[in-house]
Amino acid sequence: MVRSVTIKQLGRATAQWPRGKPGEAVQSGRMRTLVATLAITIAFMAIAGQLVHLALSSQFSITSSMTATIGESFARPDIVDRHGRLLATDVKKQSLFADPARVLDRDEVVEKLAVILPNINQAELRKNLSDRNRRFVWIRRGLSPKMAQRIHNLGLPGLAFRPELRRAYPGGPLAGHVLGHVNIDNKGTTGFERYIDEVVGVEAVHGATLAEQAPARLSLDIGVQYAVEDELAIAMRRFGSRGAAGIVLDIDTGEVLASASLPDVDPARPTMSLDPERIDKVANSTFELGSVFKIVTVAMALENAVVSLDTMVDVRAPLTAGRFTIRDLHPAGRPLSVADIFIRSSNVGAGVLALEAGAQRSREFFERLRLLDPIKTEIGPIAAPQVPNQWGETEIITTSYGHGIAVAPLQFASAAATLLNGGKRVLPTFVKRQPNATDANERLIKSVTSRDIRTIMLRNVTDPAGTGKRAKVLGYPVGGKTGTAEIPGAGGYKKDAVISSFLAAFPMNKPKYLVFVLLFEPTGTEESGGKVLAGRNAAPTAGHIIRRIGPLLGLLPTSKAAAG
Amino acid sequence: MRLHILAALALALASAFALYGINYDTRQLERRMLAKERAIKKARNDIAVLKAERAHLARPDRIESLARAQGLRPATERQLFAGPDEAMADVFSTAAPRSARTSRAE
Repeated sequence: MVRSVTIKQLGRATAQWPRGKPGEAVQSGRMRTLVATLAITIAFMAIAGQLVHLALSSQFSITSSMTATIGESFARPDIVDRHGRLLATDVKKQSLFADPARVLDRDEVVEKLAVILPNINQAELRKNLSDRNRRFVWIRRGLSPKMAQRIHNLGLPGLAFRPELRRAYPGGPLAGHVLGHVNIDNKGTTGFERYIDEVVGVEAVHGATLAEQAPARLSLDIGVQYAVEDELAIAMRRFGSRGAAGIVLDIDTGEVLASASLPDVDPARPTMSLDPERIDKVANSTFELGSVFKIVTVAMALENAVVSLDTMVDVRAPLTAGRFTIRDLHPAGRPLSVADIFIRSSNVGAGVLALEAGAQRSREFFERLRLLDPIKTEIGPIAAPQVPNQWGETEIITTSYGHGIAVAPLQFASAAATLLNGGKRVLPTFVKRQPNATDANERLIKSVTSRDIRTIMLRNVTDPAGTGKRAKVLGYPVGGKTGTAEIPGAGGYKKDAVISSFLAAFPMNKPKYLVFVLLFEPTGTEESGGKVLAGRNAAPTAGHIIRRIGPLLGLLPTSKAAAG
Repeated sequence: MRLHILAALALALASAFALYGINYDTRQLERRMLAKERAIKKARNDIAVLKAERAHLARPDRIESLARAQGLRPATERQLFAGPDEAMADVFSTAAPRSARTSRAE
């Protein structure tokens, strides 16, 4: 543009020249040179300006993505425990794919690959490679570097690798149920991995670019988690049970320090979770928990001032409710105080207490402790409780000792934590709380009731007649309550198939942690004196767990408790 | 006048060479930057693998068996003579340590 204007000016100057004087010619010659120089200078300046502009704004990239059509995978933040120990991370692995159009000898490829990857589906691979219209066929994703090298060494044309991120779980099956799984594209499908996708956030990437996010911090302590899993595995062998579950909960903050369910699952093998035996018994299934519910019943009676701990209750006559007759396993033959009903785990006593309080107050108390409504945690919704449709006399009596109502162990543990922590609401969480987070949880029950519950739970372990006496741990004051619940089967309750459980708290002088242990269908072995009662198997297991995790949680054993 | 033209020509040539030089340098720098970026990415991937391997070696079931082979056990009340308050009182008191300590602690 500059140039064309200049030519026009030059043309005008040339046209004027013949008519002008000689002096004017020189003048106009200089003028022309000046104009030409100016024009060239401007042109050069424009070029220089453009160069500077290009040099400064070199943000444009000429690298084009060759992989856009293949689809994206996800870069995930690491998962660490409450002390920063690694539980899940992304690592780069090679994935093998083929371009059928470039494969020369199909049979050779299939045969040679089958030697290195023996469990490959040969028929499917042959079919995929025959389709010349396809330019991309996954053969195997997430190969180890060694495998990738061996395949590379075959030198087969048409095969190529693409680096991808795969999830690695260095702890193996440790805390498998909490962690959950990811799919082949590294996207979270269950458990905490899914929470990461939905809340923490993942980055969609091509290739193997690691996420730059800070790790997600669980509330779990893997030392405690391992101790619980190990003790439960020992208990399963010792008492011949089919399964076991255990929870360690901080009763003030609701942080879950350990959540174990055996048989366990390996987070790296999603298909394991399909086995119904391996379901997460802590959060994903509900059970009739049995006598541990008497903690709630007694608390309800105390809270509503129906009785005090010393009130005497006549438990000699069996209770009848509809077609059921409720008896005690070991009838006392004399009236018992409320504390003794708890310690001797009297079904009749619990039933009488619930009847005295009435349907309205029983139901209201369950509701207040959030035992009737579904709740949710970071690892997904907790299995919804199964509660009676109507609260007749039968339901009042059976729920008082934990039958006719089924809740997930984690939900029950958080309700029990409320009864122990002075009455504040507890929301179970799998994410570490900030240490300075203000505790603004609403009060659900009176602190006096909580104090009474602590007293009788401690007595249940220290009293020689207590059902929980085998949970005693030297060094830590422990309190707890046993539960032996019959498992419902076709046409009534199964004979001798029980869930035995023990809900413990320690240190009892100022409870901080709750330990809930469940053993599924234990058999009467020599160790348990041929009995399937919780006091014989679940209680000592809880004791072993507390003895082991106490030091890990930074609690110093006390000689006072050792002496007692 | 001629001087002007010569000067302009020289300037044009000089700037052309300078431009070429800068262009060349820029490419060099870009190449080095890409190499560095690749090295960083590789290092980060290696760190991720090493972190995973370290965590695998430090997993509790392995540490436990190693610790037990060393003769270590969980802390118990038997290792304590007294509660923390008593123990501290003991430390601060000028009296000689109680002889019972050794017998109790085995």
